[in-house]
Amino acid sequence: MSTDTDSNTDIESTDVSNTRTSTTASDDVLLETRGLTKEFGGLVATDDVNIRVERGEQVSLIGPNGAGKSTLINLITRRLEPTDGDIQFKNSSIVGLDPHEVVQRGVSKSFQTASIFPDLSVRENAEIAGLAAENGAFDFKLLTHRDSLTDVHQRARDTLEAVGLLDSADETAADLPYGDKRRLEIGIALAAEPDLLLMDEPTAGMSPEETNATVELIEEVKQALDLTFVLVEHDMEIVFNISDRIIVLNRGRVIAEGAPEDIRGNPDVQEAYLGGADL
Amino acid sequence: MSDPDATSSDGATVVDDPQAPSLVERLQQFREREATVIGLTAIGVALFPWIFARAPVISDLLLGYQNLAALMLIWAIFAIGFDLLLGYTGLLSFGHAAFWGGSAYVAGIVSLRVSSDPIVMVAAGTIFAVLFAWVLGYLSLRRGGIYFSILTLAFAQMLYYMSAAPLASLTGGENGLTGIDVSPLFGSFHLESELPMLAGELLGTWMYAFVGVITVAAVGIAYRILNSPYGMVFRAIRENEQRAKFVGLNVWRYKLMAFIVSAGFAGIAGSLFTIHGSYVPLQSLFWTESGEIVIMVVLGGTASLFGPILGAGLYLYIENIVSGIQQLQVPFTDIVLINDFGTYWHLLLGLIFVVVIWTAPRGLWGGLSDLRTAVESRLRGEDR
Repeated sequence: MSTDTDSNTDIESTDVSNTRTSTTASDDVLLETRGLTKEFGGLVATDDVNIRVERGEQVSLIGPNGAGKSTLINLITRRLEPTDGDIQFKNSSIVGLDPHEVVQRGVSKSFQTASIFPDLSVRENAEIAGLAAENGAFDFKLLTHRDSLTDVHQRARDTLEAVGLLDSADETAADLPYGDKRRLEIGIALAAEPDLLLMDEPTAGMSPEETNATVELIEEVKQALDLTFVLVEHDMEIVFNISDRIIVLNRGRVIAEGAPEDIRGNPDVQEAYLGGADL
Repeated sequence: MSDPDATSSDGATVVDDPQAPSLVERLQQFREREATVIGLTAIGVALFPWIFARAPVISDLLLGYQNLAALMLIWAIFAIGFDLLLGYTGLLSFGHAAFWGGSAYVAGIVSLRVSSDPIVMVAAGTIFAVLFAWVLGYLSLRRGGIYFSILTLAFAQMLYYMSAAPLASLTGGENGLTGIDVSPLFGSFHLESELPMLAGELLGTWMYAFVGVITVAAVGIAYRILNSPYGMVFRAIRENEQRAKFVGLNVWRYKLMAFIVSAGFAGIAGSLFTIHGSYVPLQSLFWTESGEIVIMVVLGGTASLFGPILGAGLYLYIENIVSGIQQLQVPFTDIVLINDFGTYWHLLLGLIFVVVIWTAPRGLWGGLSDLRTAVESRLRGEDR
């Protein structure tokens, strides 16, 4: 990539963020990063990233490999400590919190792989997530039987119904087909009824049918729960279909931001992201 | 919800239908199952010393004796608690000798200096183990995996050396703590005396009854914990610690709780060990004790309620009875196979351990459940 392109895209991103800042009321802002920077040794993974996500928005994060997408997600979920900058969620900083505290505040994450509890039943998987949502990060009820926790059970049931796994509730999670494991994974993330759901490549490794089913699931859940999404995804078709807004990262920087149609036609994005090919 | 021992076997066959049992029914079922588990444990504990030490033919073949029956239960309590940590939460502690030996010493010291009431001794030992585990867990759980194991080992060895020299005035140093007196239970029942009538024939001594009641209670409490939200969270941490964090659980505190609870069981067992033997050897704090409990639990079967009990029993049987066999003979003949057979008991234990882990990675109990499932499905298949 030439330095020429870089300077162009810098101007572009500044323009975009300026217009956004002027048009949004701060009440609607759910998540905001301010000058978020993460360095690994000498390598800058995210460089002064300023993004805003409003309530009810469906934002996709795209960019070539090594653009800093995963780093950004990991910074927001507090798996990584930022080198510099701040992350505001619901107008308060979440820097310095433990990952589970961030979840308790309303940020859930679905992983790139099917991160489930393999040896437990599907129902138990949902119950664990429900337990964390109903009873908080830690509870002292050592001798209460878990079948007496009606709220947790109801929530687990609702969750499994929402992701269409109620019929497999008694199966061992490890025995599910891969697509169902991913659905369960998304279910676990949803059980907390988060305000913001971060999805790291939800269709990675799926067959075309499974991918379609997952996209439908995301659409359903979005309408049912009025969720705000940040989606990291490689499949451009999905990105352009289900996003309200797309943020393009390259080399740790935001190079463009806007509605799908703007991004599709943006020559800088084409240049940076696909080496000039049509999106 | 299926019970923890049969999750996989039950889970695969049951299909959730719209007429699934309501929560109230499930809770009712659970209560019944809990009563069954505790009831069967009580019956087993009550019959065991008779079968082991007094029954005609069987006890002669087993060469069992009353005193060992009680010791087996004591180690079983330790093993149940250890499995909560190792089998269910997936944390391998190599320092549980600190809680076992530590509580044994505390019970002994309390008996010598404060009160020799057995209940006071057990309470003191257990409280010590719980508080000490809070501190050790807080320090050791900062690191995961092998580092956690090594840290627990290091702390336990520090306690061992403390007891050997700097605290010798309190602990008796190399000689161990001797001359421990245990008062009668409730002020009137000498633990060494025989129980009256049928109870005496079945259980033998008050000592066994005391240990037996606590064992049944320990099984009941462990069963409750495993079926509480804790049990579920413990297994979630074992299965996928990162995911457990990212559903919003404070994994660190749950791990600390698992550590403390398992140390509590070790504390009960360690105190009973002092009451049982009226003596605390310095050995009880040594790292080999931490190793023994790992072997017992893995041999018997991790992540099961009864596996550890089986493992503890088998280990002590080999250690105490097989080690005493002078000559291995072909049964009912005078043909000697091996002389000084008993001296090779460590080797025998090692062989058994290797064979069990090869053939049944989930230990004896896991192997038995697999066998049962296989037989059941075979029978069901032939019915059709």
